Amino acid sequence: MSVHEVVSEIAGTVWEVRVNPGDQVESGDELLILESMKMEIPVLAEDAGVVEAVLVEKGSSVAEGQVVVSVRT
Amino acid sequence: MSSNARAMKISSEAAQIPYQERLDAEFNSREEKALAMGGSVKLRARAEQGILDARSRVEVLVDKGSFVELGKFAISSFSAEAAAKTPADGKITGYGKVNGRWCAVVSNDFTVMGASSSLTNVKKIAHMKRQASGRGMPMVFLGESSGARLPDNMGARGMGLGLGNDPTQYQRKRDTPWAAAVLGQCYGSSFLYTCCADFSVIRKGAVMAVSSPRLIEMATNEKVDPQELGGWKVHVEGTGLIDKVVDSDEEAIEAIKMFLGYLPASNLEAPPVHPVSPGSGDEMGNILAILPEERTRVYDMRKIIKTIVDKGSFFELKERFGKVAVTALARIDGHTVGIYANNPIYKGGVLDVDACDKIQSFLVLCDSFNIPIVSLVDTPGFVIGAEAERRKATGKIVNFMNALQLVTVPKISVIIRKSYGQAFLNMGGGRNSDEVVAWPTAEVSFMTPRFAANIAYGMTPEDDGFEEALATMDKDNSVWEMAAVFAVQNVIRPQETRDYLIRALDAHRAGGVIGNHELRNWPTSY
Repeated sequence: MSVHEVVSEIAGTVWEVRVNPGDQVESGDELLILESMKMEIPVLAEDAGVVEAVLVEKGSSVAEGQVVVSVRT
Repeated sequence: MSSNARAMKISSEAAQIPYQERLDAEFNSREEKALAMGGSVKLRARAEQGILDARSRVEVLVDKGSFVELGKFAISSFSAEAAAKTPADGKITGYGKVNGRWCAVVSNDFTVMGASSSLTNVKKIAHMKRQASGRGMPMVFLGESSGARLPDNMGARGMGLGLGNDPTQYQRKRDTPWAAAVLGQCYGSSFLYTCCADFSVIRKGAVMAVSSPRLIEMATNEKVDPQELGGWKVHVEGTGLIDKVVDSDEEAIEAIKMFLGYLPASNLEAPPVHPVSPGSGDEMGNILAILPEERTRVYDMRKIIKTIVDKGSFFELKERFGKVAVTALARIDGHTVGIYANNPIYKGGVLDVDACDKIQSFLVLCDSFNIPIVSLVDTPGFVIGAEAERRKATGKIVNFMNALQLVTVPKISVIIRKSYGQAFLNMGGGRNSDEVVAWPTAEVSFMTPRFAANIAYGMTPEDDGFEEALATMDKDNSVWEMAAVFAVQNVIRPQETRDYLIRALDAHRAGGVIGNHELRNWPTSY
């Protein structure tokens, strides 16, 4: 068991939060949707696990490399 | 008794035992020592950790009973003491059939002096490489080594006799495919051959680095964890030097076997043709459902590729590196193809520096081994900004472009959606592919309409007429304008993409598939 910190690979604004703490996620699941470069870009789970915390909310600005969700794998 | 008489007496006693038996006794005793590797204690410790030994790895790799070992009785030439503890001199070498085809194999035995490089075993590796090149066999390196053997290579005399006496040792001419696995501590020769290989895989827990954490700490006082120094995350996600990560030795060897299944035995042959797997193409009717109708939405290009290619044949390389692009081997109608594509689900598919490196090394692989290339295009362009420039974006774009224009295997480009600016050329647009076709959803221009409105026409979203200008540009960017001037060779229905590629690739293979291999001497890393 370890906690995986999911980072955003791109700067943008949080458009939609798709998961809540406690949710089970699979590798490739959409955790958040960011609005960036006039596109809706998802932040994906890299590994399967349970969402421990969502560190941003709708409308938050996100920097490249920022941790946005933690997943217990 | 004189010594002569004693020798005669021994000889007459020996004569009591039949000749064959005497020969067998010596042979068996020597063979037993050779096969004992570094001894039962070390072998048991590995087995307990679930790590295979060098000989078991060869057994997993080659078809049962096919291994022809060379150098079984080779040992250290340094001293009698070293000779006694170096079965096979720490590197198991020979020929074996891999899925029915002969390959040359080097498997490092870490239990024998850390599979360190010595005068004898360097000759063994050189022999395998020479035979592989000369006879047209792929090479497989199962890596785990500590570096140059000590004290053999110590001092000026040691250096003079040891390292550097083979001027072809790290030449890479890509006459036959090389595959390498990082299966333990890989310092010295195993990192060198891994970085020369066309495909590499690492087992979790293994390390590839120039030197060990212990030496680093002695030399620089830097304390570094082996995994942070050269573990799978470093090389599969960070440097991109290793193509795949797996959990076990067996999976690593399986990945090598799969990779070789797409490749010809040498650059003088076409890649092998496999039966078309049942169900291939069955989902083509629904392919458009993967592409969102809204241009602001993204999707995973790998779903489109998997729908087009033969079922189960998608074999992705560098999946966790430069993810804005996909590079994969696959089969279409049983024939190997190399696919490079944008992947909009990552950063909208904007091409970055890592993606340039990744695609460029993939073009080298395809061009060297007669693998036709298909590109699938949906990108807003190259990444821009100060960070990209610091990472040599300009040079990387040119390297990518240079490699693409040196390719002599067939190239077919399919524009799925966006293709803008310089990236249009790098993704095979214009005369950078033999054929360019587009889906009706394609849009092509120098820059995206929203930026073009500002930069080309000086308009901002607040200006009257901005939305009208955008609408006009959208129409001008439509693919029908390109088809009208024959800048794309055709517009195809998305659901007909597989059928189109089967026939177009067949047409381009008709005159033979052996290319000129202009990229065969391209650097082995970037």
